Amino acid sequence: MSLNKIERAQGLRVRSQQDLAAGLFMILLAIVALVLARDLPMGSLRQIGPGMLPKAFAVICAGLGVLLALSSLRYHGEKLSGWSWRGVIFVLGGAVVFGLTIRGFDLGPIKIPQLGLVVAGPLVVLIAGLAADDRKIKELVIFALVMTTFCALLFKYALGLPIPLAPWLLGI
Amino acid sequence: MSEMIAHLQLGFGVALSLQNIALAFAGCLVGTLIGVLPGVGPIATIAMLLPITFGLDPVGALIMLAGIYYGAQYGGSTTAILVNIPGEATAVVTTLDGHQMAKQGRAGVALGTAALGSFFAGCVATLVIAALGAPLTKLALLFGPAEYFSLMVMGLCFAVVLARGSILKAFCMIMLGLLLSTVGTDLETGQERMTFGFPPLSDGIDFAVLAMGVFGFAEVLRNLENPETRDVVRAKIGRLLPDWNDIKQSIAPVLRGTAIGGTLGILPGNGAVLGPFASYTVEKKLAKDPSRFGRGAIEGVAGPESANNAGAQTAFIPLLTLGIPPNAVMALMVGAMTIHGIIPGPQVMTKNPELFWGMIASMWIGNLMLLIINLPLVGLWVKLLQVPYRLMFPAILIFCCIGIYSVNNQPVDVAFTALFGLFGYILIKLGFEPAPMLLGFVLGKLMEEKLRQALIISRGSFMTFIERPISGGLLAVAVIILVIALLPSISKKRDEVFTE
Repeated sequence: MSLNKIERAQGLRVRSQQDLAAGLFMILLAIVALVLARDLPMGSLRQIGPGMLPKAFAVICAGLGVLLALSSLRYHGEKLSGWSWRGVIFVLGGAVVFGLTIRGFDLGPIKIPQLGLVVAGPLVVLIAGLAADDRKIKELVIFALVMTTFCALLFKYALGLPIPLAPWLLGI
Repeated sequence: MSEMIAHLQLGFGVALSLQNIALAFAGCLVGTLIGVLPGVGPIATIAMLLPITFGLDPVGALIMLAGIYYGAQYGGSTTAILVNIPGEATAVVTTLDGHQMAKQGRAGVALGTAALGSFFAGCVATLVIAALGAPLTKLALLFGPAEYFSLMVMGLCFAVVLARGSILKAFCMIMLGLLLSTVGTDLETGQERMTFGFPPLSDGIDFAVLAMGVFGFAEVLRNLENPETRDVVRAKIGRLLPDWNDIKQSIAPVLRGTAIGGTLGILPGNGAVLGPFASYTVEKKLAKDPSRFGRGAIEGVAGPESANNAGAQTAFIPLLTLGIPPNAVMALMVGAMTIHGIIPGPQVMTKNPELFWGMIASMWIGNLMLLIINLPLVGLWVKLLQVPYRLMFPAILIFCCIGIYSVNNQPVDVAFTALFGLFGYILIKLGFEPAPMLLGFVLGKLMEEKLRQALIISRGSFMTFIERPISGGLLAVAVIILVIALLPSISKKRDEVFTE
C-alpha cells in the first residue's frame, strides 16, 4: 500500500492546523462584516446600494474560509507555532503608550496631559526594547535618549513637522 | 520621437533644479540606509519614510519617494549579498550567487556588478517609460468604467497567481483587502459602513495606518520571534569595480535581464516579482557550465539584479498611465500621491506635465545617485548590518510612531496602527502573506466606483463586462491565467520557482 493510500485510509482528520485556523479566521471576519453591514441596503444591480459590495465581499471571504478549512483536512501543512505574547504586549503596547502621551488623552476618568515627544519618544523605545530576549537596560536607556534627540532634530527641525516636543516644559 | 525628447527635456528641467537633485540624493540615501537593515523590505522602508516627505511640494515629494524606492530596492540587494537575508521576494535570487561571491572575498565585485547592472537597467527602463507613457495614456482615455473594472480584476488575478505560497491564501488576502476598503462612508449615499459608529473610521481605514501596522509593526513581531542567525560576511569586501573578465561575463546577462525584467514589470499585477527568477533560470539554462550557479557565478548576480531594477521601474507604467498600482509597493506610492493631493491616472500627464515628466527624469537621476552613493559607502552599510536587532527595532518603532502621528496629527491613529499590527501578526501566524491585501485595499474603492458606474451605464446588465471587446478580453486573460495556475502540473512548477 502506498503512503497516499495509507493516508486516505486514515480518513478525515486535521492535517494542517494552520490552514484550519486560517479558514476559521476568515469565516469569523466575514461574519463580523456581515453583522456590521446587516442594515445597509443592497440596492439593485441597476443602482447598487451601499450594502451590496461589503456583503458580497464578506460572503466570498466566508466561502474561501470554508474552502481553506476543508483543505486542511486533506492536505498536509504547517502546525500553528507558538505566539510570542511578549513581543505583542511590549511592541504594540509601546506604540499605544506613544499615542496616549504624545498629545494627551481624555477618556472618561483617565486624563493624560499633553506630554510631547520628550516623554513619548523615550517611552516607546524603552517599552518596546523590553521585548528583546537579549535586552540590556543601560544600553536601552542611552539609546532611547539618543533616538529621541535625533528624531526631534530630524522631524521637528529639519523636516518641520508639527510634533509637540514638551508643551508642559518648553512650551513647544 | 521628437515629442519624447521634448518631454524628457521638460522633465530634466524640473528634476535638475538644485532642490530636486538634493531631494533625490537624500531619498536614495535614507532609502538605502533603512532598506539595508536586515528584515526591513522595501514596503516597510517606504511606509516608514513616507512622513519625511510630507512637508515638501508634490513634485519634490514624489522625486524623493522615487529615490527612497530605488534606495530601498538596492539596500535589499546589499543585505542579500552581504548577510544572505533577502529583504523581499525578488532579492532571494541574489542571495544564491551573490552571497557565495561575498564568501569568496568578492563581495565588492558582486555589489559593483549589481549596481552597474541596475544602473544600466534603470537607464533603459526610464527610456521605455518615457516612450510608452504618452501612447498608453491615450489608450487609457479609451477606457470606460467597465474596462477599468475588468483591468483591475485582471491585475488582482495576476497578483493571486504570482503571490508567494498558497493560491487560496493569496485569494483570501485580496478579498480581505477589498472588504477592508469598503469600511467608511459610502461614496454615493453618504451612509456609514461598518464603522462601529466610531467617527475616526468614517473616512475609511487610513492607508498609512494599515500599511505601517501590517508591514512595520507586524514585521517587527515576526522578526523578534525568529532569533536571527545573521551571517555577515567576514571576508574582505575587496575591490568594487568588476575587472575586464567580469564585465565580459556580465554584459549579456545584464542585457537579457533588462529585457526580461522590463517586459514583466509592465504587466498589471506584480509581474516584476517574476523578473529575477526568470532571468536566473534563463542564465542557468544558457550557461556553458550550469554547475557554477549557486557557487558564486557573476551572471547569477548581474542578470537578476538588472531584471529586478528594470521591473521595479517599469512597474510605474500601469500606475502613471492607468492609475492602477500593479503591486504592494506601487500601492504605497498611490497612497503617498493621494496624501499630496494627486490622483494617479491618465489625467496626471496632461494636467500636471511637470510632475509627470519630472518624476520620470528623476528616476534616471535616482539610479545615478545609487551608483554614486552605494559604491563609496559600502563600508558604512557593512557597519550598519552589525547593529543588533535589539536596538534596531525600537528605532524602527519610534520612526513608525512619529510617522503615523504626522499623517493626520491624530494620536488615535497610532493606537489603530498597533491594532493592525496585531492583525498583521495574526495573519502571518496563520500563514498568510499580507502583500496582496494591501493591493486589494488600494484597488477596492476604485473598483467599487467603476463597477457602480458601469452598471448604471449598462442598466444593471453584467453582460457589459463581456460584450465590450477590451473589457471582455481583459477578463478572458484573467480567467486563462487563473486556470493555468490551478492546473496541477503548472502549480507544481510554480512551487519550484518560488522555493528555488
